[in-house]
Amino acid sequence: MNDFAKKLFQDSKLAKETIPVVVSSRIRLARNLADFKFVKYACKGDLHTVAEKCEKVLASCPIFTKSTILNMGDLLDYEKLALVERHLCSQEFIMDTNESKLFFTDDHLTSIMINEEDHLRMQVFRPDLNFKTMFDKINAIDDHVSENLNIAFDNRYGFLTACPTNVGTGMRASVMLHLPALVITKQIGNLILAVQKLGFVVRGLFGEGSEAQGNFFQISNQQTLGFSEVDILSRLTQIIRSIIEYELNAREIVKKERIIWLYDNIGRALGILRGCYCLTSIDAINCLSLMMLAVDLGYLPNTLRGDLHQVMMKIQSSHIQVLENKVLNSSERDVKRAELLREFFVTVPNLKFD
Amino acid sequence: MEKCQFCGKPATVHMTQVINNKTTVIRMCNECAAKHGLFDKEGLPFAMLSGLGEALFSGMKQSLSANGLICSKCGCTPMSFKETGRLGCPNCYKDLKLLIDGIIESSQKGTIHKGKYSKEGTLTATMDPTNSFTDTSIQKPIRKPSTEEKLNELQEMLDAAVKAEQYEEAARLRDEIKILKGSGGIS
Repeated sequence: MNDFAKKLFQDSKLAKETIPVVVSSRIRLARNLADFKFVKYACKGDLHTVAEKCEKVLASCPIFTKSTILNMGDLLDYEKLALVERHLCSQEFIMDTNESKLFFTDDHLTSIMINEEDHLRMQVFRPDLNFKTMFDKINAIDDHVSENLNIAFDNRYGFLTACPTNVGTGMRASVMLHLPALVITKQIGNLILAVQKLGFVVRGLFGEGSEAQGNFFQISNQQTLGFSEVDILSRLTQIIRSIIEYELNAREIVKKERIIWLYDNIGRALGILRGCYCLTSIDAINCLSLMMLAVDLGYLPNTLRGDLHQVMMKIQSSHIQVLENKVLNSSERDVKRAELLREFFVTVPNLKFD
Repeated sequence: MEKCQFCGKPATVHMTQVINNKTTVIRMCNECAAKHGLFDKEGLPFAMLSGLGEALFSGMKQSLSANGLICSKCGCTPMSFKETGRLGCPNCYKDLKLLIDGIIESSQKGTIHKGKYSKEGTLTATMDPTNSFTDTSIQKPIRKPSTEEKLNELQEMLDAAVKAEQYEEAARLRDEIKILKGSGGIS
């Protein structure tokens, strides 16, 4: 394994400590330096200065004592994509890596993008729903940053961002949810509409513009101005708590009314994972989603939950290429993915249905 | 068949967005939707729309009336914003105010920042660690400027707007001042 792979495959706490339904949550703050143009309009020299200033300040932040800093321009395409797959940075961040840097801590719970759409995009993650802890953490980083850098701020508009849809708090909070029963019972469409009406957005696995795969949905606030951070996080928490309740109720309904269908689908999925020799990432994610449901319903041991999340990370297209240390085409990846899945699932015990 | 509001081709994307109980329907063809970042190349199964879409459209509407605006620091104009979807620098919020206020009004909850203030981040101190975020008793972060300062600032802006004969803006500011005075303070 090369250095990059080691850093990428460092045991992520995110995967280890997951709970049912909630896959992970995230808070992101957008900040800009007052004396520079926003990234899209800034010249190379300015971006370089911004990156240097930010790097210096972040390196002195206690939270980054055990961390990695990457010059995005030095990375291979699949390495950049693997960082997106890990949610350590955004898709947009890797489109133009001119003078952009990425900080992330060894536990993968904090990451900072320098020169994304805004000069600073700081994010913290957790494997559960605990915005209080997360906010304290990111707020401390933000305090450190604003004490040491001249941050663009206006008394009326709040923190100034390159896109007015982020202005104000500059905060986007999101929760990744695993909602198989709401998909099976076809309630998900209505739920998405209801969430949108409340001013929140529902997206797929990889944020903006991505498709919902494997019953994973990301819910985040749309509005950033006119609310305090606490208001946004409280409202989001309330919404998420209700969605969790809907999902758990839907699971009971599925168990009551469609138990044979459920056994059949979970059983077949495990069969595929144990016996596959060529599997696309979407098929793999859909099968793994059913395995996670099986753990939640007690058909597989609870101890598997974290492992399943880690496997799901590992079998993504760019992760496979990092692991193999070379570019692979899609059929080569499908073969390697199947191999990784077979290896893992032969060790998984048989399903214990009620 | 309905026509795309941008190019007149048959519309295949119908976007309804409800923000603060205001419903907006926008119809467009696939290409225009993709152009405005509302659709990926393959097309999404359901519209996972961010505020950006709505904001861009109102930005375009606004730009008609905001023509001639230009940021004195970076040269950003409503047109360049329309093209990139991004502003040029912090000063754009001053010089392109007309454009930005339109976008903010249609895409944001309010027009005044109610969150953390820069520098002395007082937010942490005001939150009781025993409270969960669902607790309604949670304290709001302390704002740095006092209500009085805020009122003075708004009054100044109101005077300027009246002077410049921007009556719509003036009316909005007047309402804001009224709300602020009525609430007896910002929590």
